[in-house]
Amino acid sequence: MNEDLIQQITKMVVEKLEAASSNQTIQQQPTNEQKVELFSRRPIGQLEVETVKKLPSGAVVFHSTTEGPKRNISTVKPKPTTAYGNSKSKPQEDLEEDKLAEYRKKTPARIGVGRAGSRPKTKTWLQFRLDHAAAVDAVYGEVRDDLLEQLGLFQVQSKVSDKEEYIRRPDLGRKLSDEARALIQERCKKSPVVQIVASNGLSAKAIEENLEDVYLSLQQSLNNLNIDMGTTFYVDKGRVAVMDDIGELLQPDVVVMLIGERPGLVSAESLSAYICYKPRHGTIEADRMVISNIHKGGIPPVEAGAFLGTVIQKILKYEASGVSLVQKEG
Amino acid sequence: MSNFNKHETIISAGIDIGTSTTKLIISRFSLRNVAGATHVPRIEITDKEILYKSPVFRTPLQDAVTIDVAGVQQIIRTEYEKAGIQPSQIETGAVIITGETATKRNASEMLHQLSDEAGDFLVATAGPDLEGIIAAKGSGSYESSGKSGQVIANIDIGGGTANIAVFKDKQLLGTCTMHIGGRLIEFEHGKVRTISPSVERLLQDQGYTLQVGDPKNASAVSFVTTYMAEAMARILKKEVQAQDRVLLLGHEPNWLQPIDTIVFSGGISECMYHHTSGEVQIARYDDIGMQLAEALLQNTSLQHFTWQEPVETVRATVLGAGTQTTEISGATIQIAPHELPLKNIPIYQYDFGENLEIGFSRFEDAVQQAVTLYDSAKEGQNFALYLSNLPYLGFRDVQRLAKAIVQIMNERPRPEQPIILVIQSDHAKVIGQTLAALQVKQSIICIDQINVETGDYIDIGNALTSGVVPVVVKTLTFHTT
Repeated sequence: MNEDLIQQITKMVVEKLEAASSNQTIQQQPTNEQKVELFSRRPIGQLEVETVKKLPSGAVVFHSTTEGPKRNISTVKPKPTTAYGNSKSKPQEDLEEDKLAEYRKKTPARIGVGRAGSRPKTKTWLQFRLDHAAAVDAVYGEVRDDLLEQLGLFQVQSKVSDKEEYIRRPDLGRKLSDEARALIQERCKKSPVVQIVASNGLSAKAIEENLEDVYLSLQQSLNNLNIDMGTTFYVDKGRVAVMDDIGELLQPDVVVMLIGERPGLVSAESLSAYICYKPRHGTIEADRMVISNIHKGGIPPVEAGAFLGTVIQKILKYEASGVSLVQKEG
Repeated sequence: MSNFNKHETIISAGIDIGTSTTKLIISRFSLRNVAGATHVPRIEITDKEILYKSPVFRTPLQDAVTIDVAGVQQIIRTEYEKAGIQPSQIETGAVIITGETATKRNASEMLHQLSDEAGDFLVATAGPDLEGIIAAKGSGSYESSGKSGQVIANIDIGGGTANIAVFKDKQLLGTCTMHIGGRLIEFEHGKVRTISPSVERLLQDQGYTLQVGDPKNASAVSFVTTYMAEAMARILKKEVQAQDRVLLLGHEPNWLQPIDTIVFSGGISECMYHHTSGEVQIARYDDIGMQLAEALLQNTSLQHFTWQEPVETVRATVLGAGTQTTEISGATIQIAPHELPLKNIPIYQYDFGENLEIGFSRFEDAVQQAVTLYDSAKEGQNFALYLSNLPYLGFRDVQRLAKAIVQIMNERPRPEQPIILVIQSDHAKVIGQTLAALQVKQSIICIDQINVETGDYIDIGNALTSGVVPVVVKTLTFHTT
């Protein structure tokens, strides 16, 4: 089946549900939902300790879960109109709804979404599916060529041949292909103070949405601080540690790698900036540092770029990054 | 260069100069980066420790309408000494001139003298609204409104005024100030020594007569305290009657939700709860304070509310001033250190309404209106432009915004003054840097994550080690009677 079509339909259903719920909030009765005691506090089922019967060694014993003493199903059933729901006064319920609304404002996490029986509501579930699909799309998507052209970036490949291999073989994503090495040698300024590299990593969407703003803002920040910049390029299917290969080739003082983060269910377009002082083969992970969560709902990309400039200034001053920087800074 | 990961402390002073009493508090704030290691730093005040509480002094006055500035300075000097603090150590805090003292003739003159003398810290004078808010923060009402979900009114009654501030879930719902206080009638040797003008008007309206020299137990005196308690109950219920207006100072009660709980703070509350009864009393009072406290306790209408005891009684305002007025700016900001500290900068708010195009279309008017508002004589009173509700900004939008800012700032009567920007969202660094990239000739102070509005004044303190600046938001409204 056509995947686009499925996504489109899912989206339509979600929108419809959203529209419906916003019109009918009064008719909904969320007040009873949170108060149903779903699970009985009393232990149910077989209460005696099961003793292992003597059996030939090697025999597997399955503890019964479906048969045996009958469970009292009625304790599990939601009873929406019991005194439990009615005893509380109206303001108290409004108060709780207000509190939940307040909590929801503070986090993009799926809290206070209610439920239908023991499952999420259809709307919540579809939203979850949609977000999951967006995350998958971010991993398998490609960055548009015109974006890279616009920013004047040329493109090279890691040693990975396709996305499946990229996911299975992180080690190959940390190495530049032979063509890439040649192209970088040919086109890049040698021994710059700061070398900026972009890579789709696990989210092409992160690059599409944020690269321009972070990059231009970082460039401006470095300009203001009079810090020399090398020739920026783009590594397709790269991993963070590909910066070690680049460090060996170009001998920069600092490498800044703008790379798409592993997408989550809150955001599939979050970008990270990994920074390292003189990354070379054998650089330990503790010497890399990162500013993460750069996206519309996190650190504004333009502000992140401006902040990165001052971080780089500090790294250059102390000639260290990561844990070593913290130690030197005291 | 700023070090975000260092633990840092700053010393804050709070000084409350009220109608009857003056007190001082020295506290130490701990600042820390509370953001995770992989995030842009966020510096917050993580701990507040009170180092020194002064005794409660009687406010020195030269005459009925003039504060004895030298006397106040003397108190502050000796108290600093007792606390073991040099004025130069104080980096933030507030002087609050409250109640009727704020209407005294030389209040603003004294503020300037104090800010020079008492340390290089931030000075706030409270209008009656801010005063009520600060007292509510010091008395613990503000804090508990966030927990109980109830509508809480904090009623701070001192010598001259009662400041009501109403909160729910830590949101301010409204304020009201009344001429209710302990010192509105004073006695001497069992006889009436002074009667404040507002009480005189009240007596006149109600057909009572009371004159200086009348005995302390005159029926008119007990009428006044009983009436004040009744009027207080009516104001809290928003059932203001025409004859109560004489006790109102400024606007009528403006909260919309009914009040559940009331908390009394201030000197009158001390008469009710005796928190400091073990302390040596420096100030002695001979006025209606005790009777007023008694009248409030006895009033049946006030019993309809739930009563809650305050954490602090007489020191609620000074505690609020010393520990609750300082805010910390965002960590990624652009400042010109040589221009700091900046004091008494009026705020002009410009709301983008989440739309850049509409925002830009009226942007030029912003400066014109700010100048009309704060510098009508074109004497060069600078202002801070507060940009609120900015939409999501791309880099090109930031560049456009920066250019527009430079253009309108050059239209000020004195364009060479520093450009002071307060940004609601986390954008100060990039906007500041973009202005720097445009090579503007003015100094740039660009801070963010502070909430202010038109009519507020801000003080911006010296940059701290972590690169942030302490900010005190205040209102300078002196009310006149």
